[in-house]
Amino acid sequence: MMIKLSGAVLLAGAMLALVATGRAAEPGTSNDIFPYPVTKTVLDNGLTVLTIPYDSPGLVAYYTVVRTGSRNEVEPGHSGFAHFFEHCMFRGTVKYPADKYNDILKRLGADSNAFTTDDWTCYHIVASADALETLADIESDRFMNLKYSEEAFKTEAGAILGEYNKNYSVPFQSMYETLQNTAFTTHTYKHTTMGFLADIKDMPNQYDYSLKFFDRFYRPENCTVVVVGDVKNDEVIRIVRKYYSGWKRGNYQVQVPVEPPQKEEKVVHMPWKNRTLPYLMIGYHVPAFSDDDVQRASLDILSQLVFSESSPLYQSLVIKKQLVEFVNGGVDDHRDPFLFTALSRIKDVKDVDSVLDEIYAALENAKTVPVDAQKLRDIKSYIRYAFAMQLNKPDNVAVTIATYIALTGNYDSVNKLYALYEKVTPEDIMHAAQKYFRKENRTVVILEHEAAQ
Amino acid sequence: MNLRTCSIFAFIFSFLMSTPSVDAQQATRITEVYVPNSPLVSFRIVVRTGSVNDPAGKEGLNALTAAMIGQGGSQSLTYQQIVDKLYPWAARISAQADKEITTIVGEVHRDHVQEFYGLLWELVSAPRFDADDFARNKDDQLNYLKNTLRGNDDENLGKAGLNLLMYANHPYHAVVAGTVQGLNAVSLDDVRTFHRAMYTQSRIIFGIAGGYPKELIDRIKNDLSALPAGSFSEVPLPSPVQPVGVEGMIIQKDNRATAVSFGYPIDVTRKDRDFYALLVANSYLGEHRTFNGVLMNHLRGDRGLNYGDYSYIENFIQDGGSTFPDPNIPRRQQFFSVWIRPVEPKNAHFAIRAAMREVQLLVDNGLTKDQFETTRDFLIHYSKLWVQTQSRRLGYVMDSEVYGIPYYIDYLAKQLSLLTVDDVNAAIKKHLQAKNYYLSIVAKDAGPLSDALLSNAPSPIQYNNPNVPAEILAQDKEIQVLPVNINKEKFTIVPSGDLFEK
Repeated sequence: MMIKLSGAVLLAGAMLALVATGRAAEPGTSNDIFPYPVTKTVLDNGLTVLTIPYDSPGLVAYYTVVRTGSRNEVEPGHSGFAHFFEHCMFRGTVKYPADKYNDILKRLGADSNAFTTDDWTCYHIVASADALETLADIESDRFMNLKYSEEAFKTEAGAILGEYNKNYSVPFQSMYETLQNTAFTTHTYKHTTMGFLADIKDMPNQYDYSLKFFDRFYRPENCTVVVVGDVKNDEVIRIVRKYYSGWKRGNYQVQVPVEPPQKEEKVVHMPWKNRTLPYLMIGYHVPAFSDDDVQRASLDILSQLVFSESSPLYQSLVIKKQLVEFVNGGVDDHRDPFLFTALSRIKDVKDVDSVLDEIYAALENAKTVPVDAQKLRDIKSYIRYAFAMQLNKPDNVAVTIATYIALTGNYDSVNKLYALYEKVTPEDIMHAAQKYFRKENRTVVILEHEAAQ
Repeated sequence: MNLRTCSIFAFIFSFLMSTPSVDAQQATRITEVYVPNSPLVSFRIVVRTGSVNDPAGKEGLNALTAAMIGQGGSQSLTYQQIVDKLYPWAARISAQADKEITTIVGEVHRDHVQEFYGLLWELVSAPRFDADDFARNKDDQLNYLKNTLRGNDDENLGKAGLNLLMYANHPYHAVVAGTVQGLNAVSLDDVRTFHRAMYTQSRIIFGIAGGYPKELIDRIKNDLSALPAGSFSEVPLPSPVQPVGVEGMIIQKDNRATAVSFGYPIDVTRKDRDFYALLVANSYLGEHRTFNGVLMNHLRGDRGLNYGDYSYIENFIQDGGSTFPDPNIPRRQQFFSVWIRPVEPKNAHFAIRAAMREVQLLVDNGLTKDQFETTRDFLIHYSKLWVQTQSRRLGYVMDSEVYGIPYYIDYLAKQLSLLTVDDVNAAIKKHLQAKNYYLSIVAKDAGPLSDALLSNAPSPIQYNNPNVPAEILAQDKEIQVLPVNINKEKFTIVPSGDLFEK
């Protein structure tokens, strides 16, 4: 059992990436928050390679970022496919069938896996640095030459349903599903990365579509290889050129539909069949991730101001009145406009309305009351230290850079973003609050035990 | 392609400059892992108290006492003041409780280490015992039992159910968070008294890692010596009772899919040579979150039954988003277990049989020389990745002290290098069997599933894929009628709401 006390605000999902950046080592340039030098190379076929030497003798993190996620699932009936395809990538090639691929990683003693988000898919391996060429060989092979049978494809669909099912007993999964499905009418963020259940159940019948998916998105111009650890750039580039140069460019351009502005508040009550405390999720539409929009950066500062454990709201709801177990909130960075989401677990169903009112009041307060100078300094300090503290192994360095590659295609976005945080003023925060925290712009999901409804 | 065996792994963690030092002669015990170039300082304060120390009728007291440190104030600062202090540093303090060990974990940038340490130590040595903190932490712990486990998390519910089955009438019986009635009986005075008895010199090992100033160690020594000496004696542990046939329960609740855990106590821990032989066998059977194990390959890979299938020879808690085991949960008694992640109800009976068959094959056939060698080599390399951060390495160093072995990661490599395939197969025969289990199932259709299990009715798998290879189908015919020897006297259906009550 883990009991935590920390200065961090946590929100399920990708919000953890929000608080990145500090200065743990010598910075790459004097103004950069990311402390390690990055060498970027673009091969003739469009594949980007980033090399980041890091003091981890003998160890390397090898990440492949595909800038495709459930956002790209624009065709009806194929929600969840980016994630499903991530699973298919482990089904082998002619040269390295699945069991041989796995045997190689086993012999290396490597830690290897993959994950998919709304915007991107990531394949990651941590292994011995002297296995670099082996990693480039097996990874390039599956990205260029993936080949799986229809039978294997159908079998893998069972694992996807299993993943959906394992998540289902935890209320968050269902709540996110409902929130996104309600808040979005048009954009592909309407479904979660897992996809709609009906589409998951139909996956076994979509073999031909999976071939099309691979052909569209698993192309060099859509991918970045990030290599972090005990490596030299010249050697990395020599190896990557050797194994990836034969990869052909693609030409597919996805047209993701634009979400129209929300015009009225939406409220959904979700019954939960098992005993549960009530959960509350509130989503406000906000702009896409940006490394040059100070108002967007202000929302990240605001999330700390209103929802961190050091905030008056937390102090009131969690510590003084003890109405909730936790309350948190923030923006989950996305390529396209997404949501600022607040989440709470309330101890008594009778307090749901008063907790909602108190959260709304805290957001209203942020519109008109400027943050005091010391508090703003504390928030900026927190953000810098939290970033520095997360860069404690090659894996974490790689995923940090990969996140910004996924968002903008440019790793330097991390430096720009944290420079932008430094410029945020109390007025910027109030303007952002006024612009986005409006009743008609929000969607509320309340989950309660069905007996309480 | 050259499949190098990456001998360089032996050096990859030299940057940590480990200098673990335990001063056992003195009353104060400090474990150091000095990493001069690290900008971070990590703390792990191990207290030799756990849920086994909960008084009868007050189950949950140890965890609640830990919560008063991890989520409470100190004598000079309220909880909110501490949160406000930690915030601009992004520093963290948490408390982790298990059966026999409780650990206060902290991390801070070295810019603020002196002030942070003062705050951390006051929390450990002189908690505030504030009534509001107490009410909040007790509420959280009760809600974890009453709502999270019973209604919001089938996978952990299944594992908790296995714990209840394995350790009836044993000090490990209650889950670490305790019981509803036990917690309701705990008063703030109980917490105060428990803290006074347990947070003493004799029970504390102080761990520190990273780029800390060396003079901090003197300060820690002084502080430790100011603690009451106290006394430490281990709670006696009876031998756990082994199952006769398959004893178990189906925890009934509404859900989409059926969660399963089964296993039994084993008489080996990291102290024992056979543990390392079983480590190889277990990795072959079901290494956590990898495609190395036959369970994963045959249940998920070949049949798409679910998301994952793994096995363990000790208590395993995954560390956050990684796939690696949490440090600081050592136990004197361990157990073998198989975890089948939620399966569609129509295939649950088949999945249980399929997993039990894999254990049976392991027990009957053991490993071949080649399987042994590749699995052993994998573990020697892979285990190095368990200690990529200084905090995790510190945790593993301290666990080694608790077990009384050399540094586990090095010791594991040495023990594995001494093993032969015969050692592994002999250890399998000695410690594992495939007939008698404790079986914990979380299911919606408890009645029909119970009937099917009790009657050993055939349970053919239902595939999405009409073109399953003939070899798999032939195995399926064997699996679907595999006898599972349910002990009818000791197999029950329990509503999830009835668990963890007392």
